[in-house]
Amino acid sequence: MNGAVVFERLDHWKHVLVDQLRFLRRDRLAFVGVVIVAGFLFLGLFGPMLAPHDPIEHDMVNADGAIMRLASPSADAPFGTTAFGKDVFSQFLAGARPTLIVGLFGGLGTGIIGFLVGLVSGYYGGWVDEVLMRMTDLTFSLPFMPMALLLLTFVTPSIWLITLIIAGFLWKMPARVVRSEVLSVRERTFVKSARASGASDLRTMLLHVGPNVLPIGFLYTAYGVAWAIAAQASLAFLGFGDPTMTSWGRMLRQVFESGNMRIAWWWVFPPAIGIAAITTSVFLIGRAYEEVINPEIQTEQ
Amino acid sequence: MSDFRRFLLKRLAISMALTLVAVSIIFVVLRLLPGSPFEALITAGNLNQEQIEEIRSLYGLNKPLLQQYLAYLQSILSFQFGYSILRSQPVWEILRPKLFNTLVLLVPALVTTAVVSSLAGMYAGWNRGSYFEKVSIITTTFLRSTPVFITAIIFVIVFSYTLGLVPAFGMREITASPDGLLETYLSVDFLYHYILPFTVAVLYYSGDFLLLARNGVIEKKGSEFLKLHRAKGLTEMEQLARAGRNSMLPILTYFALRLGMIFQGLILLEVVFAWPGIGRELVLAIQQQDYPLVQAAVFIMALAVILANLAADVLYAYFDPTVSASGGESL
Repeated sequence: MNGAVVFERLDHWKHVLVDQLRFLRRDRLAFVGVVIVAGFLFLGLFGPMLAPHDPIEHDMVNADGAIMRLASPSADAPFGTTAFGKDVFSQFLAGARPTLIVGLFGGLGTGIIGFLVGLVSGYYGGWVDEVLMRMTDLTFSLPFMPMALLLLTFVTPSIWLITLIIAGFLWKMPARVVRSEVLSVRERTFVKSARASGASDLRTMLLHVGPNVLPIGFLYTAYGVAWAIAAQASLAFLGFGDPTMTSWGRMLRQVFESGNMRIAWWWVFPPAIGIAAITTSVFLIGRAYEEVINPEIQTEQ
Repeated sequence: MSDFRRFLLKRLAISMALTLVAVSIIFVVLRLLPGSPFEALITAGNLNQEQIEEIRSLYGLNKPLLQQYLAYLQSILSFQFGYSILRSQPVWEILRPKLFNTLVLLVPALVTTAVVSSLAGMYAGWNRGSYFEKVSIITTTFLRSTPVFITAIIFVIVFSYTLGLVPAFGMREITASPDGLLETYLSVDFLYHYILPFTVAVLYYSGDFLLLARNGVIEKKGSEFLKLHRAKGLTEMEQLARAGRNSMLPILTYFALRLGMIFQGLILLEVVFAWPGIGRELVLAIQQQDYPLVQAAVFIMALAVILANLAADVLYAYFDPTVSASGGESL
């Protein structure tokens, strides 16, 4: 590939990106979603640095030097304090990072594995398809939450492990959808002529079939991000989060376990709204894309 | 029909193989877990060596691994789950009422939402671009994508703690000691405890049915047979009913799948509301390392999914013959 081609490609991708952004601006909900996701990315990257106090180590004390426990929001602690005298605002800022890490990598893992499995399975058909689809059946029949809980009891949970478990269970969703897309693309003329003109299977699959199912792959990667975030928060809420990190799910576990949900609304709402906002945003963006990708819904209007 | 029968046999064989693999994985995972509940008893000094050996042989832990595995397969596939280690009670006796509690909560919720949100979805799809369509989609997307424990927590804070309308957790008053099924499940007290988790479950499930029904109706709306109906002079509602009836298949199969996931789907809902169902029991059993209880609960959850997948595939193949020819594609 020479330089001109590379530039042409880059230029092409730039156009695609600009088109996408323009499209998202038109769909008001998706646009709000994008803004929230951008805010979340910012929090995930810089939140821990912006936090005024250490989320776990630092005790909030009042003027008399007593530890502030369950203090409602004030100038010192804008989101109040926890039952253990920690600053909820700092925990909220720091808690975005594990959520982002698991969401991003869990989603990417889900999308990539699912895309490849679906592509290979649909392209080759036959026994390859049979074996791969039985494997997806298996991950469908192993109940995710119980299995994840089991696995996490026998190893110390860390965010990377949680990411791995999530991707290891969720790839089945994109795999199935991508496969059924591949089945229809495979029969199209340009694919057949590519093969007839002597292109190898790998080349046909990656250069001719792959790009045509890429949008679906992207869409399910986005959904994968939302699923991963939800799964991570749920696991942390059940006490199977990374014990070394403050996460939004873990904050909710602490307020729930300590029995302070009745009083300390300021401790509940920041992480709860954080998780709800990010998962919903990702889904709304995905839905807007789905309208474009899914030709059957698209035909009318 | 012979095609269908062959498909059915193949699908049955696959389901059995999947069950076997799932059960084996559970076995391996549980054997890999470090520590055992016996160790706690031993270190507490409550047992002497002789008693330990006795217990180990009772649970078959002194036999070779392969023999343990075979015995395990035999027992679990015949629903003999053994004794709970910590509660000295047969596992099945512990789990049965929990299973029932989960079903009592979730089956009515699932049925309600399947009917109500499918109808709403059909209406939304028919009135594409309407205010109703937009609001219903945003609301259900929010409810579907937000983890269920968060919705549950918010509902508890609003309706129990703030408004004081209903109790926040449990299935009955702590002081209630009902006798028999009727007394347990048919009382105002039960209803009070039921309404909140039921509502959250309904709302959580609503999104998928709504979207399925909406998309189905939108697809059908442009199709030939509806033009015919329009030409015949059917009213809008009658046309919608026809379009709706024709998008029932995905909804039905999805219902079957959801039904299969019922035991595992809302573990967190049960935890938040302290609902004595199988999901909450599993979490407790894992924390207490009560292996026989854990493996039975996970097995039941896996089996339910496998059976539901089977049912969904067969439903689909039965009603839509084009599917079975291509190897039984399911959702």
